[in-house]
Amino acid sequence: MASISINPREIDNTVELPGQRAPLITGKQTFNSVTEMVCAVAEKPQPMLWYILFGFSSLTALMFVSLIGYLILTGVGIWGNMSPVFWAWPIVNFVFWVGIGHAGTLISAILFLFRQNWRTSINRAAEAMTIFAVICAGIYPGIHVGRAWLAFWLLPYPSLNLWMWPQFRSPLLWDVFAVGTYASTSLVFWYMGMVPDIATYRDRSKTPLRRFIYGILSLGWTGSSRHWLRYEKAYTILAALCAPLVLSVHTVVSFDFAVSQLPGWHTTIFPPYFVAGAIFSGFAMVVTLLVPVRAIYKLENLITLRHLENMNKIILATGSLVGLAYATEFFIAWYSKNQYEGFTFMNRAFGPYWWAYWIMVSCNVISPQLFWFKSLRVSPIWMVVICIFVNIGMWFERFVITVTSLSRDFLPSSWGYFNPTMYDGLMFFGSFGVFMTLFLLFCRFLPIIAISEIKGIMSIEAHREAHDKARASGGSHHH
Amino acid sequence: MSEKKPQAAPAKPKSFGWIAEYVDEHSLLAASRKVRDSGYTKTDAYTPFPVHGIDEALGIKPTILPFIVLGAGFTGLFTALILQYWTNAYDYKYIISGKPFASWPANIPVAFELTILFSAFTTFLGMWALNGLPKLSNPLFNSERFDRVTNDRFFLHVDSRDKYFNRESVKDLLAGTKPESLEEVVEDSSPTALPSVIWLGLGFLFCASLVPVAVVLNMRAGNDENPRWHVFFDMDFQPKKKAQQTTTIFADARIARPQVPGTVARGSLVNEDPFYLGFDPTKQASLNAANNIRLVSAADDKAEKPADTAPDTASEKSATTDPVKADEPAKETPAANPPAPTPTPAATPAAAGGPNLPWITEFPLEVDASLIALGKTKFEIYCSVCHGYAGDGDGLVHRRAEQLQQGYWLPPTSVHDPRIQAQPIGNIFYTISNGKGKMAGYGTVLSPKERWAIVSYVRALQRSRNANIEDVPVEMRAKIEEAKKAE
Amino acid sequence: MTTTNSSDNLKLPEAWAGKYLLCFTLGVVLIAASGLVFFVGAPSKSDGLRFGMHSYLANFIYAISFGIGAMFFVLVSFLTRAGWSASIRRLAELISMTIPWVACLFAPILLVVAFSKGSALYEWNFANVEDIKESIVQAKVGYLNGPFFVTRAVICLGIWSLIVAYYYRLSRKQDETGDVGLTLDRQKWSAVLMMIFALTVSMAAFDWIMSIDADWFSTIFGVYLFSASMFGFFALMIVSFMLLQRNGKLKDEVNIEHYHDMGKFLFGFTMFWSYIAFSQFLLYWYGNIPEETAWFRVRINDGWQYLSYGLIIVHFAIPFLGLLSRHVRRHRTGLFFFACWALVVHWLDMTFLVMPNAGPFSMGMMFGHLLGGIGMFSLFIGFLLLRASDAPLVATGDPRLHEALSYANPLL
Repeated sequence: MASISINPREIDNTVELPGQRAPLITGKQTFNSVTEMVCAVAEKPQPMLWYILFGFSSLTALMFVSLIGYLILTGVGIWGNMSPVFWAWPIVNFVFWVGIGHAGTLISAILFLFRQNWRTSINRAAEAMTIFAVICAGIYPGIHVGRAWLAFWLLPYPSLNLWMWPQFRSPLLWDVFAVGTYASTSLVFWYMGMVPDIATYRDRSKTPLRRFIYGILSLGWTGSSRHWLRYEKAYTILAALCAPLVLSVHTVVSFDFAVSQLPGWHTTIFPPYFVAGAIFSGFAMVVTLLVPVRAIYKLENLITLRHLENMNKIILATGSLVGLAYATEFFIAWYSKNQYEGFTFMNRAFGPYWWAYWIMVSCNVISPQLFWFKSLRVSPIWMVVICIFVNIGMWFERFVITVTSLSRDFLPSSWGYFNPTMYDGLMFFGSFGVFMTLFLLFCRFLPIIAISEIKGIMSIEAHREAHDKARASGGSHHH
Repeated sequence: MSEKKPQAAPAKPKSFGWIAEYVDEHSLLAASRKVRDSGYTKTDAYTPFPVHGIDEALGIKPTILPFIVLGAGFTGLFTALILQYWTNAYDYKYIISGKPFASWPANIPVAFELTILFSAFTTFLGMWALNGLPKLSNPLFNSERFDRVTNDRFFLHVDSRDKYFNRESVKDLLAGTKPESLEEVVEDSSPTALPSVIWLGLGFLFCASLVPVAVVLNMRAGNDENPRWHVFFDMDFQPKKKAQQTTTIFADARIARPQVPGTVARGSLVNEDPFYLGFDPTKQASLNAANNIRLVSAADDKAEKPADTAPDTASEKSATTDPVKADEPAKETPAANPPAPTPTPAATPAAAGGPNLPWITEFPLEVDASLIALGKTKFEIYCSVCHGYAGDGDGLVHRRAEQLQQGYWLPPTSVHDPRIQAQPIGNIFYTISNGKGKMAGYGTVLSPKERWAIVSYVRALQRSRNANIEDVPVEMRAKIEEAKKAE
Repeated sequence: MTTTNSSDNLKLPEAWAGKYLLCFTLGVVLIAASGLVFFVGAPSKSDGLRFGMHSYLANFIYAISFGIGAMFFVLVSFLTRAGWSASIRRLAELISMTIPWVACLFAPILLVVAFSKGSALYEWNFANVEDIKESIVQAKVGYLNGPFFVTRAVICLGIWSLIVAYYYRLSRKQDETGDVGLTLDRQKWSAVLMMIFALTVSMAAFDWIMSIDADWFSTIFGVYLFSASMFGFFALMIVSFMLLQRNGKLKDEVNIEHYHDMGKFLFGFTMFWSYIAFSQFLLYWYGNIPEETAWFRVRINDGWQYLSYGLIIVHFAIPFLGLLSRHVRRHRTGLFFFACWALVVHWLDMTFLVMPNAGPFSMGMMFGHLLGGIGMFSLFIGFLLLRASDAPLVATGDPRLHEALSYANPLL
């Protein structure tokens, strides 16, 4: 539990005296050493663990793809969705994965706007995770429409056969636009951020094939100052666009539920509460992924304890916000004196799904409270354990919202109890295979840390250090 | 391509200028200022990360990208608003959850998303376009040392196309800035044309990609007798039988089964009692022959109307075109000679609701205060919305329709209309049961007893307008007198 | 702190120092005048009381919202170990220190709730449950009743006062000692206090504003009040610094980079407020359940529709488009204009939250309300001047002050 580590690269930079900033990356790093450290991930042979994980996850992904084929040939009846719970695991998994994605954009866009320089070590991997999570999320509504080969009907295209248009007053269509915009914008943001680093890979390539592929992908990047200026401006604009975008995505997802009149869904706190929950689960996933990544690829000097601790603090804050939202919902359900609302919440906590509710509360609200202890906040093992619990809790949150409300209709005659089938479980498991496969390929072939951004921050830090030194030595060095 | 060729003794390649290499950003900045102050403008610095202050040091102007993005954002916003308005409020209108066709609050999420989408892609593509990228070939890539520009070295380039460029003086100027290295770069001499094998491959891919398109188009436009390919079966093939098909399940192989003996098909039960009908079917035969033909033809949709039986051509014509209007003349006739069936031309019962039938004139059940009370309750539930609580034909629906002024509203009939007053009770019962004109039949929602109760209440309402003090039971008269005085 | 600045530079302008008395007088007179307008102008005595109570509450919320925003800003500065805000944080601390005094202005409402029963402001405030008009409100008396309401309000305002006093005291102590430990202490407490802040602000919003219409409910309401408070707070900060600098103070401590950042926050909270307000509206508009739309119904009828729809323009569109450009956010006059604008529309927003429940819109009612609003703002400014009169306007002992004086905004 103690933060004492036998790893020589594990330098504790979490303590910071006011007025003196702790270093963001540890060890005596130069521009070249940072390049070497990050490029080694893709240039050196992968460790055996990578092959084991890749084999396992690609097989799981293959199973997922096969099950999708089976689903398309057979129909959504292979799932447990049944009256009255027509929205079951597929929507739960969709919201779960979209939520996971939110941390990446939050780190890359919102922390950028707030000048949180520590983001540079983790943003690339988090953005990649966003893309992969959104891919996993997008699969579910796609295959849930029943005739998946007609999913393009969701888009407003002029159909000469039908002469119909989609229904823009439906939140499900808003979702198509929100998730579509989110996926494509995150993709270009991620790719744009990677171009200078891919150019680094290009310039270090030893084989013609690598040089050719990285050469194409880096678009002929030279590091010209004129290019950098426009690039930075574009990066800033994209960050400013992504910040409200990331809020809007989970807001629209929450609208899917909240515009209905179903007790437990129809409540105004849903938009900010869903966003907080999404960031919460997303950060938990980033921590879960980055702790092993930094250990396997020996990146402890770049992804330092301070980075992890900061993320854990955000997990604590958003977890508490989620807890506050639960409490507000309960209070207003009682305060409103609306008997349906009151019933719904009592039913959640003490009805047939009590177990799901209490798993949710203990994982989401109670487990992150452990992060009040600094020793747990900086212990890689503990944080991974807590973060896994957080993600279990967040999956159950979506399950509780979706299934408890649907299973108790206004008419007691249409009450029911949802039972998942084997395919529900296997397909959810399979989506992790897709996610992990993509993430492992990303580690293998692309720069998992934003090399050029770290160098930029190193330059600023060095400047500040010189400034501080001059100040400490009593010089009147003043802006 | 970006592939680098070693500088192997080129035959006098053209100079692309000088590049000076520095180990840190500060010496680069100092050198840049020096070069700028010497008047060179075709210069650029190449760095592994964005160096702040370089724009000022080299005299680079700010980019116009934000303005382009702003324009794109507004384009996205208006695209979304117009798209949503045009599709849902103009081109393809339909009501959903009671929302207006143009639901602006519901349009905001998509408007927001498209604003972001357009802005983001304009930012991304605009930045590359303004930077002149992708540009996979660059003379600078000819320099071996330039590889480190993406790692830890900083380069300053003075282009040979600068109007003050002089090979020797630029070299001296840069040498004066104490660079790590200084070298002259040369134009890329590698061939610019794509190898023919790539053209061949691209051409093949293009042709191959046309095949599926051609197949789809052929299938959509062609007139093949064979069924289409079923990539997905959708619901085209279902495990069920249609009428006229055969089966092996039954001995007679027919899929359509005859009626089981001793059963009555739903909706086919006809009760002969006047209590259920409002008229006496046994007396129907006494009606004139023409009317009988009419009744038979009513049962058989295809029957032609006998034209010679219609003295009133107006009514005849309207009977076929507008059932609502048709019942008006038909009504007047029974009003003139109440209970006796008259040989008036009548429309088909289903269409006009006013057939000439042997109406009964006596209630087939006992009429008492409780029956009238039941009638009042049911009248107020089912009838008053259109006919009004007092039966004047001024119910809420009517008043709302008047407000809307849509022109094609036909007012509900007043029960105090002399025509209705003269109708035999059987006829009123019949109207309640089967409807008339726009009025739906209530036979399915009200039991016969309830319908008779309503008839009794209608009669009471009618009587209330034409009553005098003698109609009131003696013990109640005093109460009325009192009320009169109070007024 | 650099020695080049004389301590004089960090004090209130001479001309301002004694002005708090004038502010108090003006405030009391205007509030009294507004009361007079209501009682003379209203159709009946009970109408006058109702208008007066609603107006007073709206103006009170307006005055205390700056303190709420300032308290959050101070807490979040320590929570995130912010360096850039070290030189502007003192003013936020001073604004937050108005809370204990502004809290006293809530006393009239608490006294009325405790001792005078009737539905002049809160429709649940009757001695007998049977007197309450609506049965659904009758069912809520376990929570919505005089003694409990007063207790909650006192606890809430008391907690806020303790929080701001603690942070202010340590900050002033640091002015003298420069002790780094004082920063660490405040950092340590900021996380827990932030949670208490979130809970109490939600409770205050539910109790003080939402329960006016006691059968209506919205879970997002606390967030709405929070977003509005932050919007008003940043506007007040910008305006205050601009006025101080025009009077020759804080020349070096607050620079264009700080204005740029505060401008960004003002812009950000314009969007956040719109996001929250729109979410609340959209969900109730879409659900279209009578008991939920009732709150909006009074706000889009009887003349209030001009205010309600107008807020979309003046509280969202104009500040949004105005502050979108980096050049405006870095332009002193431009930013000053939009900050003043924000102070006014923030008052309109508070009016929108409270006043429609008093009755149909009328110019007379708005006149009285405006008088009261100016009066309440004068009292608030008086408190602020009084607080600021004996303290330096910059936390001179803050160990991160040098960061605040030497940073530059990146491109945005």
